[in-house]
Amino acid sequence: MKNRYAVRFYKDGNIRYISHLDLLRLFKRTFKRAGIRLQYSQGFNPHPKMSFAQPLSLGYSSSSEYLEFETQNTYSTDVIAEKLNSLMPEGLGILSCEELPDKEKSLAAMTEAADYEITIPVDDSLEIENTDLLREYISQDQIKVMKRQKKSGRKIEINIKPLIYSISVDRRGNCIMLEAKLAAGSVSNLSPELVLTTFCEFTDISYDRATVAIKRKEIYFIK
Amino acid sequence: MTLSKQLDKLLMRAEKPGRYIGGELHTEKKNPAAISTRFGFAFPDTYEIGMSYLGLQIIYHILNKMESVYCERVFAPANDMENLMRKESLPLFTLETKSPVKDLDILGFTLQYELSFSNILNMLNLGGIPYRSAERDASFPFIAAGGPCAFNPEPLADIIDFFMIGDGEDILPQVCKAHDRWKESGKDKDEFLKSLIEINGIYVPKFYTPSYYEDGQLKAIKKNYDKAPDRIEKQIVENLNQAEFPQKTIVPLIETVHDRAVVEVFRGCTRGCRFCQAGMIYRPVRERSKETIKQIAARQLEETGHDELSILSLSTSDHSEIEPLVEELMSVCKDNNVSLSLPSLRLDSFSFKVLQEIQGYKKSGLTFAPEAGTQRLRNVINKTITDADIYHGIEKAIELGWTNIKLYFMLGLPTETFEDLDGIVEIAKNITDINYRITGKRGRFNITVSVSSFVPKAHTPFQWHPQDTADVFLEKQLYLKDKLKKIKGVSYNYHGTDSSYLEAVFARGDRRLSEVLIKAVTLGCKFDSWREHLKYDLWMQAFRETGIDPNFYAHRERTYDMVLPWDIIDSGVTKEFLISENNKAIQETQSPDCRLHCIGCGINQKAECTMGERYEE
Repeated sequence: MKNRYAVRFYKDGNIRYISHLDLLRLFKRTFKRAGIRLQYSQGFNPHPKMSFAQPLSLGYSSSSEYLEFETQNTYSTDVIAEKLNSLMPEGLGILSCEELPDKEKSLAAMTEAADYEITIPVDDSLEIENTDLLREYISQDQIKVMKRQKKSGRKIEINIKPLIYSISVDRRGNCIMLEAKLAAGSVSNLSPELVLTTFCEFTDISYDRATVAIKRKEIYFIK
Repeated sequence: MTLSKQLDKLLMRAEKPGRYIGGELHTEKKNPAAISTRFGFAFPDTYEIGMSYLGLQIIYHILNKMESVYCERVFAPANDMENLMRKESLPLFTLETKSPVKDLDILGFTLQYELSFSNILNMLNLGGIPYRSAERDASFPFIAAGGPCAFNPEPLADIIDFFMIGDGEDILPQVCKAHDRWKESGKDKDEFLKSLIEINGIYVPKFYTPSYYEDGQLKAIKKNYDKAPDRIEKQIVENLNQAEFPQKTIVPLIETVHDRAVVEVFRGCTRGCRFCQAGMIYRPVRERSKETIKQIAARQLEETGHDELSILSLSTSDHSEIEPLVEELMSVCKDNNVSLSLPSLRLDSFSFKVLQEIQGYKKSGLTFAPEAGTQRLRNVINKTITDADIYHGIEKAIELGWTNIKLYFMLGLPTETFEDLDGIVEIAKNITDINYRITGKRGRFNITVSVSSFVPKAHTPFQWHPQDTADVFLEKQLYLKDKLKKIKGVSYNYHGTDSSYLEAVFARGDRRLSEVLIKAVTLGCKFDSWREHLKYDLWMQAFRETGIDPNFYAHRERTYDMVLPWDIIDSGVTKEFLISENNKAIQETQSPDCRLHCIGCGINQKAECTMGERYEE
């Protein structure tokens, strides 16, 4: 009988500038400080059994991330959430904790989609009808991007349209907000960056990437 | 727009933005408005390097324990971030409150290596603070400095308002208290500096005027303010075991060079290597007891969650309780999935036992530093390791399965000849033969010979010696290259000598170098200790344009009767001792480890030295 758990947490504020690996190290230390002993892998280089459902890009905030882990002892989920929460730095917080069944696949393997919110500050004078914009963007037969292949390094053209499960656009003050549900996980994955670039290119909106905020709002798993 | 908001815009564009966000575990939050001394601890290099420095943790902890003081951290931004900051007119800021450094009361730089000096000036400039002390009125913070390079403060004398010499644990709180009092008094800037000289270990350069002979030699450094001390005695923390040591150390959010819990097990060193500045200026040896170390280590691991523990000193094997200490720490670590790292161990049988246990079958390279290739030259530098020690240690290592041996040597040590270089080759050759004898194989065994260029340092017995010229260094490096490449399984590392040359200039420089520094930084020099950033040509241009000959500092042979720029600093070790050690070096005679026999360095006149002849009792 394993002690498998997952915590759901948020990442916001300045701490979004630390990387996926830094966050993993932070959790590892926090478990140590909390006195929660993680299960370690066997072998030459033992490491704690702990992993994220989906890495979150540096600079993104999130209101719903998942970390799964295995402990040596059994705890109540409330105790885990409470202990971790009391030790989290500003910008990180545990929203909930639940037990995971023994035999289930890892969360990473079960991840299939994620919701993103992309906030693009634009010129006040920009006058566009949201619905038209979006309809035209999404009604393209194909949304093509050039993507560099990891192995060969060659650039190939891919159509990202099938990976956009849903998308909506809204104008709020001097920002354009895109909300999109995109393919995520190890089988097929779409980075919101590609939605941002193709959308803005198609609609001819100029923007400064450094001022665009991207937030992950939810991750969906195969049931 | 507040600095924080401005910063937020830059972070999306910066490389490794985690360097600039602050908010790490165990950092201090205070309300600056309720503080009488805002102190900036400035490390003149990037975050990852500065946060690996133990002294920062100690000072941060000690100062923030004081109610009237708020110590915040300041690092040099990397080049990409600096460019963004300059473009957006964002001044250098503290990590804690994102305040411009100009708003602080005291900005204190730690001087860990000479090649960080240009970064100090660049950081002042980024903070909107004039370089020269004389150009800063009361609207600017006091600029202070401390650390090992403060033992020759003169090259920075026109820039820094006051130096703190010696151990920082007590002197920094004293300075802050003096500042509290001065601030309340409402008196002018000079009054604060005048009040500081009552504190042991404070050097205020403006109270001293150097004079020179026509040939450029230093004639004297005379004080121009009566009450200033003739010489500045370094401050010493006598009882290290009772000294404050942080348990809630700051835990960086991003990976740094050394990301681990660390306990300083003792300060100082009894070995007396004649080239080593640290071995001279950190005397006397003061230990933390085994129990104190264990207690600090356990608490620190608990408070930080680190998974690595390191015990630190100049020569860890020399701790009087090293064996039980390491054994007990090992068992603490094992129980908690923490790895123990032990730098600067000697290759004795105990060390092997320990290494065997902590490295197990995962054998990383084994490193050791004979420093010189022959017994003769090791006698000169007082490195007591013998050929027999080296070969015995290596034999043991090979038997235990190590296949990667790193050897460190210095080139350009006083009295060095090509025979000494042959000695290096011979050691490498003999080690490959030992390996063959033991394993019966020539392959899958690698020796790395790394050579560095010797830099004579102030306050050491070698402070009078010239540094080898670039041509001589190169000739020696290539001589070794030619001979070592003929031995199978030996790789050889050597580096250009530009940075060692600059280091030699500043390590024994005088006040006239302040202008060179300012010129060099104006020309764009910074991050000189980073090989990829060092702009040697610009440095040479800076020397030319200020009319200062760097060879005068690096290559000149000094005589015992000369006034040296750092003579105003009293490290506790007497000049007579340094002279006698240098004479012994020339005669190729060793001095004993001071635990065997007190060699009269003079430090026991300044502080209790418990080391002298400790083994004879």
